[in-house]
Amino acid sequence: MKEKKGFAKMELSDANLQTLTEYLKKTLDPDPAIRRPAEKFLESVEGNQNYPLLLLTLLEKSQENVIKVCASVTFKNYIKRNWRIVEDEPNKICEADRIAIKANIVPLMLSSPEQIQKQLSDAISIIGREDFPQKWPDLLTEMVNRFQSGDFHVINGVLRTAHSLFKRYRHEFKSNELWTEIKLVLDAFALPLTNLFKATIELCSTHANDASALKVLFSSLILIAKLFYSLNFQDLPEFFEDNMETWMTNFHTLLTLDNKLLQTDDEEEAGLLELLKSQICDNAALYAQKYDEEFQPYLPRFVTAIWNLLVTTGQEVKYDLLVSNAIQFLASVCERPHYKHLFEDQNTLTSICEKVIVPNMEFRAADEEAFEDNSEEYIRRDLEGSDIDTRRRAACDLVRGLCKFFEGPVTGIFSGYVNSMLQEYAKNPSINWKHKDAAIYLVTSLASKAQTQKHGITQANELVNLTEFFVNHIQPDLKSANVNEFPVLKADGIKYIMIFRNQVPKEQLLVSIPLLINHLQAESIVVHTYAAHALERLFTMRGTNNTTLITNTEMAPFVEVLLTNLFKALTFPGSSENEYIMKAIMRSFSLLQEAIIPYIPSVITQLTQKLLAVSKNPSKPHFNHYMFESICLSVRITCKANPDAVGSFEEALFMVFTEILQNDVQEFIPYVFQVMSLLLEMHKNEIPSSYMALFPHLLQPVLWERTGNIPPLVRLLQAYLERGASTIASAAADKIPGLLGVFQKLIASKANDHQGFYLLNSIIEHMPPESVDQYRKQIFILLFQRLQNSKTTKFIKSFLVFVNLYCIKYGALALQEIFDSIQPKMFGMVLEKIIIPEIQKVSGQVEKKICAVGITKILTECPPMMDTEYTKLWTPLLQALIGLFELPEDDTIPDEEHFIDIEDAPGYQTAFSQLAFAGKKEHDPVGQMVNNPKIHLAQSLHKLSTACPGRVPSMLSTSLNTEALQYLQGYLQAASVTLL
Amino acid sequence: MPGMNEQDERMRKFKNKGKDAAAMRRQRVEVNVELRKAKKDEQILKRRNITITLEDRLSPEQEKKDASAQLSLEEIIEGVNAKSLEIQLKATQAARRMLSRHRNPPLNQIIEAGIIPRLVEFLSRNDNITLQFEAAWALTNIASGTSDQTRAVVEAGAVPAFIDLLSSPHMHISEQSVWALGNIAGDGPLYRDSLIKCNVIPPLLALVSPATPIGFLRNITWTLSNLCRNKNPYPPLEAVKQILPVLICLLQHEDKDILSDTCWAMSYLTDGSNDRIQIVVDTGSLSRLVQLMANPELMVLTPSLRAIGNVVTGTDEQTQSAIDAGVLAILPQLLRHSKPTIQKEAAWALSNIAAGPCRQIQQLITCGLLPPLVELLDKGEFKAQKEAVWAVANFTTGGTVQQVVELVQSGALKPLLNLLSARDGKTILVILDTISNLFLAAEKLGETEKLCVLVEELGGLEKIEALQTHDNNMVYRAALGLIERYFAGEENPDLQPEADQDRQTFNFSAEKQDFYDF
Repeated sequence: MKEKKGFAKMELSDANLQTLTEYLKKTLDPDPAIRRPAEKFLESVEGNQNYPLLLLTLLEKSQENVIKVCASVTFKNYIKRNWRIVEDEPNKICEADRIAIKANIVPLMLSSPEQIQKQLSDAISIIGREDFPQKWPDLLTEMVNRFQSGDFHVINGVLRTAHSLFKRYRHEFKSNELWTEIKLVLDAFALPLTNLFKATIELCSTHANDASALKVLFSSLILIAKLFYSLNFQDLPEFFEDNMETWMTNFHTLLTLDNKLLQTDDEEEAGLLELLKSQICDNAALYAQKYDEEFQPYLPRFVTAIWNLLVTTGQEVKYDLLVSNAIQFLASVCERPHYKHLFEDQNTLTSICEKVIVPNMEFRAADEEAFEDNSEEYIRRDLEGSDIDTRRRAACDLVRGLCKFFEGPVTGIFSGYVNSMLQEYAKNPSINWKHKDAAIYLVTSLASKAQTQKHGITQANELVNLTEFFVNHIQPDLKSANVNEFPVLKADGIKYIMIFRNQVPKEQLLVSIPLLINHLQAESIVVHTYAAHALERLFTMRGTNNTTLITNTEMAPFVEVLLTNLFKALTFPGSSENEYIMKAIMRSFSLLQEAIIPYIPSVITQLTQKLLAVSKNPSKPHFNHYMFESICLSVRITCKANPDAVGSFEEALFMVFTEILQNDVQEFIPYVFQVMSLLLEMHKNEIPSSYMALFPHLLQPVLWERTGNIPPLVRLLQAYLERGASTIASAAADKIPGLLGVFQKLIASKANDHQGFYLLNSIIEHMPPESVDQYRKQIFILLFQRLQNSKTTKFIKSFLVFVNLYCIKYGALALQEIFDSIQPKMFGMVLEKIIIPEIQKVSGQVEKKICAVGITKILTECPPMMDTEYTKLWTPLLQALIGLFELPEDDTIPDEEHFIDIEDAPGYQTAFSQLAFAGKKEHDPVGQMVNNPKIHLAQSLHKLSTACPGRVPSMLSTSLNTEALQYLQGYLQAASVTLL
Repeated sequence: MPGMNEQDERMRKFKNKGKDAAAMRRQRVEVNVELRKAKKDEQILKRRNITITLEDRLSPEQEKKDASAQLSLEEIIEGVNAKSLEIQLKATQAARRMLSRHRNPPLNQIIEAGIIPRLVEFLSRNDNITLQFEAAWALTNIASGTSDQTRAVVEAGAVPAFIDLLSSPHMHISEQSVWALGNIAGDGPLYRDSLIKCNVIPPLLALVSPATPIGFLRNITWTLSNLCRNKNPYPPLEAVKQILPVLICLLQHEDKDILSDTCWAMSYLTDGSNDRIQIVVDTGSLSRLVQLMANPELMVLTPSLRAIGNVVTGTDEQTQSAIDAGVLAILPQLLRHSKPTIQKEAAWALSNIAAGPCRQIQQLITCGLLPPLVELLDKGEFKAQKEAVWAVANFTTGGTVQQVVELVQSGALKPLLNLLSARDGKTILVILDTISNLFLAAEKLGETEKLCVLVEELGGLEKIEALQTHDNNMVYRAALGLIERYFAGEENPDLQPEADQDRQTFNFSAEKQDFYDF
């Protein structure tokens, strides 16, 4: 640790306090012109000694409350930024201040009002993370001593701080340091905590009639229960094993406790009682899962208590977390073979089904509200399974858990319920529709044993007849003329088709398709979204021999109405950027193929209008993505049938694209480049002038600074080179250095170097040699610099491919000459240190082929390999080539490189969104020139041996190993040649 | 420092990439700190002699007399220092009796009374065997206490005296000395080694003969085991080589106490580096140890399982010796044992065998270990499940594609995925790594899609998705990695991490460096 050479010092004077107050006040000013300089000033003085102490003084003694709070927040942020001592960096807080802070902060925190207490408590845990326990040995005793104070505001402050210090025990990996710390904490903390727990519970009964006292005491109990969880997480501590009776008996009592004074009127927010019980369920679940052997005697009691709790807890939202935690506890226990007996009694099962599962599956007022007013959230929960904490979900998990041992009885019990609920519905649908909803949900959860997003339900309970239920209870709802009636039941029905699509026979699905298309017109967002989603899922289903299950012939009668309804659905309020609908559009295009061509003019107009509209403020990434995919599909499908149509697409799209590029709509630019690449590749002849006009702009550095642009831009430049290399050479030769500059920029980065090589390979492959002649040496110098200074496996792999491509294009001799002109004997060094030892790492069919052909050239078309000191490398190189043919790929990566992508990964938001339907075909630059590289090697060797008879066999016999030799014999035989 | 752990963790992951199987074998001690209660099934380090002696039982009236003649501490101090032989004996006896009390023996008071030096003196009183015996007994019980209490005995010079008494013509005295020396050796490596330096082993071994009474032999075995026990440092190799032949003989005994302590000794000797394991392997005793793993007595089963468990942490060859000795035939019943700790130890041993080369993995399959492993993974107690997870993880790291397929076909995937909701970050991470291994195998078979479906069907995807919000960085990164790589959906973004660049302009230029040398 380096200490900064002396800290400048601020006096702890009134004048300084006054100044600081002024500046703090200014940091709250809404006007940035005032706020920013003040923030800057504070930052500039925070390195001074006493600065944190001035803040602490202010937060304690300032006359103005707002300054107190502001000082506490500033203090916490200061601690967050500066407390940690980073190796090789100066210490940012002087030692005297550190000591003073640690000496004062706990009492200060405890005597502060709650708003400030919270900030200081956070600061303590930040400091604790660094200093506790070694550099802050008194902290624990200081905290524990406060337990004696009898003041529960103080005690809660201590508990909260302890919780923020100890909660990391729940997620950190076991290590000596960690366990030493926990042991220390247990030694000092476990007994006082237990005593406090007992004392608090006693106080709860003494103060059973004092609402405000109870609130404070219950807050303590919640924190104590949380601390219990943290301290018991890593392993069962000796102390808690010895005191299990105390803790578990009290937890059990608390679970069964109720007190009117603690019930809240709020329907949404969980009260103290719920929070406490919820945490106790967690604690019991922890013990049941991890310390089963020791916990076994207590478990049945908890099962009963939690079950009773469930039976007596109401439907209000505030109980949701408690109920789902409690159900999850039962679900995890009932799967364990040695607790099977706790559930197997028919009465128990019936009453769990009746009193726990069915009530928690009911569609509640809150669900109805979400269905209507917050459909996005509803869909996410219901469709995408982000319902982990919901009651319905917990109930569903309990059904599955029980089915593990009791599938028959449980199915039997529920069948009865389903029937009676359906009867209730039939009596008066408009009032009792919720009964049918519950019945459908129950059938769904009972029937589904395994499920995936892509395939829906994949394993079903054989005791449930899904098709019968579908025909009798689902289809009638969807066939009714009014698509807007009972929207929840419509949504249920559509969802049923969606998830059981693999169980319901195909003819039923075909019957459903027009019904689903019809429901795209429903006003309810949930209903038309589900209809779109269901169609999309049906269209992806696979039939035999890997074609789609639903064929485009079967869809022929519906093409027009499908497209019309899909685009119309996008005009419903709230659905203008509905990703499910857009995805269904994409999927429909993909399924219908040329059947959409007649509608393309109208479709592409609607898509470009949509594009123009959303480009003002792109907010739905998935929607946008599918929209661009749909555009790509339109281009592909149409141009496949009629290549000349590309012009009309360019006409329709370029105006919007230009606007996107000019307005720098960052989210869309990578997509635009991909669509342009696709369009450019559709051209069979010379590159159109409109593209050439854009070319210089693509080389602008600003575009390349955004990582998301790099892959599509490289792809676009490759398309330019493929289609228009000669045009570039003749009409834009002055842009070649800029193009190479892009390569240079990319090659300098460990993350992007492969993209640089893509570009370079295209340049070498397509550009006329004379136009790049003057740059070739520099290119290699750049590559050698990377090799010298920071080579990585990825770089070497790309380098090998490039070198061999170069060799194929320019000849082996040219390769040797350019290497050796940079530095004498360079060619030999690259062969010996890079090519021979690393060639086994090259991956990819085409890449391997390039390397094989390139190396063959070096072996057989490079005279210096035969008659200079390089000759000694000839056989090792041949051996390496045979290895490339015959040995498995070497995919090891040196240890130190595993850190690279972790360290260099800048986070995941700078994503590049690759369009599947703008995909590039794999390109083989060697192509037909060489079909079978092994035969090619044999033939080339044969040719070489005829040129210098005797040499080749003698080189082979001296140092090629036998196995390699055998393989080689095989190639020679296959090529029907012999070596002279 | 959390950074360190993370690095270690990553290193482990890389080693798992295939090359270094030895690194995957996990030695017993990962963490030296224990939060748990000391294990009930460990061997006892020190023992107090509280049994009622023959003479006491034979003469109840003497007992009565003694009870009435109970001496105070002061009287004892006075007594041991008295001239009269009879009073010395009486005082020593009184002290011994106090120390043999069932509850709260006053060890510290006796030490503070300063009579230990006198008691040690009495050890050399060959003229009065009763006094000698009483003193030896009293000292044995003091030495059975805490480290400080043992030290009081050693520092008074009792060790050489006790070693001399090993060769006493009176068996009960020599037996008491064995016991005392056992307590001293059990204190830790320091005293253990000082005993060895004082040449305790030859006279101790000399006591073992076919004629040695069973009770005596038990004591000797226990003391021998303490001489093999403890690490940092290990007992000197020379000593181990002296003791081993006798242990091998004792291993053939039928008495369960003797077997138990002998097995414990073997487990200590194998709990170390590979060269120490090799010494035991070379004795050819592995088959007997494996045989004892099937012993109905838990006290024999536990240490023999532990010893073999230690052996398989060794090299591939050492592990192979254990396999050749038949360990794979016994493990299934131990994986299904009613006691969770046995399941756990068995799974630990299995995890280390699974860390071997694929031919050993093949033997593991052939011997039918997969079904009990999957059962344990599914229904075992958590600590056993954790070891089972390691076994599966190692299996998927070193196994061939075909072997991994067999593992999946035996139903390991479902319980493995269920354990993703375990409350243990490390276990979760190991499972995520295992899933990643499974995907590598599936990729080679071109069945990635199939595995994706299977993982999702079994509820794994949902759990992995939930882990993306896990508080532990490594866990969430591993989960995220899996999702991005295999579950990003059909046309979802292909996420590419990118690095920053510092240059602003793209002037293409290059200057040659002085000299390249790659």
